[in-house]
Amino acid sequence: MKETVTTAKHPWLVGICVVVVTAAYFVLLARSRHPDPGPNLLYDTAEFAQADNVESSFQETGRLTPTVEAPKALAAGPDGTVYVGGKDCVQVLDPSGAEVKRIAVNGSPTCMTLTPEGALLLGMKNRVAQLNVGDASVTEWPELDARAYITSIAVHGEDVYVGDAGNRVVLRFSRDGTLKGRIGETDPQRDIPGLLAPSPYLDVAVNPDGTLWVANPGRLGLESYRENGDLITSWYKPSMKLDGFSGCCNPAHIAFRDDGKLVTCEKGLVRVKIYDVTSGTYEELVAGSSLFPRAQSVRDLAVDARGRILVLDPKFNAVRVFEHKDDENDRTHQPA
Amino acid sequence: MDESKKIGRRDFVRGAAAFALAGGTWAAVGTKAEGTVWQLDPNKCTQCGRCATHCVLNPSAVKCMNQFNICGYCDLCFAYLHPGSRERNTGAENLLCPTAAIERKFIEDPYYEYKINEDNCIGCAKCVEACLVFGNGSFYLQVRQDVCINCNECSIAKACPSNAWSKVPASKPYMFITGETPPGQK
Repeated sequence: MKETVTTAKHPWLVGICVVVVTAAYFVLLARSRHPDPGPNLLYDTAEFAQADNVESSFQETGRLTPTVEAPKALAAGPDGTVYVGGKDCVQVLDPSGAEVKRIAVNGSPTCMTLTPEGALLLGMKNRVAQLNVGDASVTEWPELDARAYITSIAVHGEDVYVGDAGNRVVLRFSRDGTLKGRIGETDPQRDIPGLLAPSPYLDVAVNPDGTLWVANPGRLGLESYRENGDLITSWYKPSMKLDGFSGCCNPAHIAFRDDGKLVTCEKGLVRVKIYDVTSGTYEELVAGSSLFPRAQSVRDLAVDARGRILVLDPKFNAVRVFEHKDDENDRTHQPA
Repeated sequence: MDESKKIGRRDFVRGAAAFALAGGTWAAVGTKAEGTVWQLDPNKCTQCGRCATHCVLNPSAVKCMNQFNICGYCDLCFAYLHPGSRERNTGAENLLCPTAAIERKFIEDPYYEYKINEDNCIGCAKCVEACLVFGNGSFYLQVRQDVCINCNECSIAKACPSNAWSKVPASKPYMFITGETPPGQK
């Protein structure tokens, strides 16, 4: 029987094809079968952070490092003294950050303010305590209801205003702790839209002319009230741009400078800014989000007697001090 | 020596067989280690998006969850609405989620509830990051154990840049972002 022998016409071509196919197989095998997620599956916050990438006339001039555990509350005295409240303790620091005193308290203050007489009013979840810094004596006010979550406290004259984020209300007390009124609750008859606090941030501050201003974080703006709870004015600025308040609920913290300018601090994309409070006009950036870790919230904000803006930053466990560049230069060139 | 106390070959084999049977049963049932399943720690997650693309299942077994006791029920929810959205409504052009997996339900003015439609969710974590940065951080990712096929070598765990993945006891298969224990899990 005659055998049939088949031979390739171009064996070298077949060989090359086999080598190429084999190489391609191994290259594809070596590469990941899973592509990395494309832009449609990613949330890029860089473009929002770009909004505050502008030149600021403020600069960070120092950091005070409190040694209290879990610092949450901050207050500044007229002599430059800084008070930091943490777990079961209030620490008193001099303007350079050196510890002056440490006072044990029952609980963790979430906010505090200084009375004109030099006592500290501490807000601790659902109660207020008055701490005499001199002899460390404490006077407790009656407890609020279980739902209360005190986030801010401010003193003006004979009134004490307490921001309660749990009940979404500002409570007006006398200096001895007697409740005198409730401010900010929804009341269509008085054109009060109601305070919204989706997260535990509801700050109050009294400006130098004596007007109470309340941050309404859920509406991304501010409201001012009379002592009797009447709404005077309000402005809201929800925006991802620098002149507005970003996120679901901002500003998280407010404070006033001696010249009546409002200092605000936002959470999430942390930005410290200055506004004209009556018109709601954005004026200046103090510190942008690039100076703060991503998705962090600062714990408290204060302005001291020298006009320094103090930010309690839990990430660095520090009170970060921001000053106008001109102020810093003036002080640097002053004769000793 | 007492002949009656002698153990015969047959008795010895029977005894050895009984011992082997009892030992085998004990080894098979009594000392069996508890099974484990894959889960990701939401506190380590960096929302890289690979949970959506690297799972062997399509769509991924990783789904978004909303922890309601943290959620602010915001009208302006950044996990739901695209940052540039012109209106706060359910219009497709306003939604952040690429698969419209978040359902918005009116509760009372001005509060809305946000639930995840897990059939639509692909686990991309866009909403998780948005809520973390601009909200309360109530959204987080978890492996749905009723969907996951529990591969021996999880391809997402292999690709995770933050080492958020680990094997956890099958009796405690879920985590809360706060570190609390989910209901029904001791």
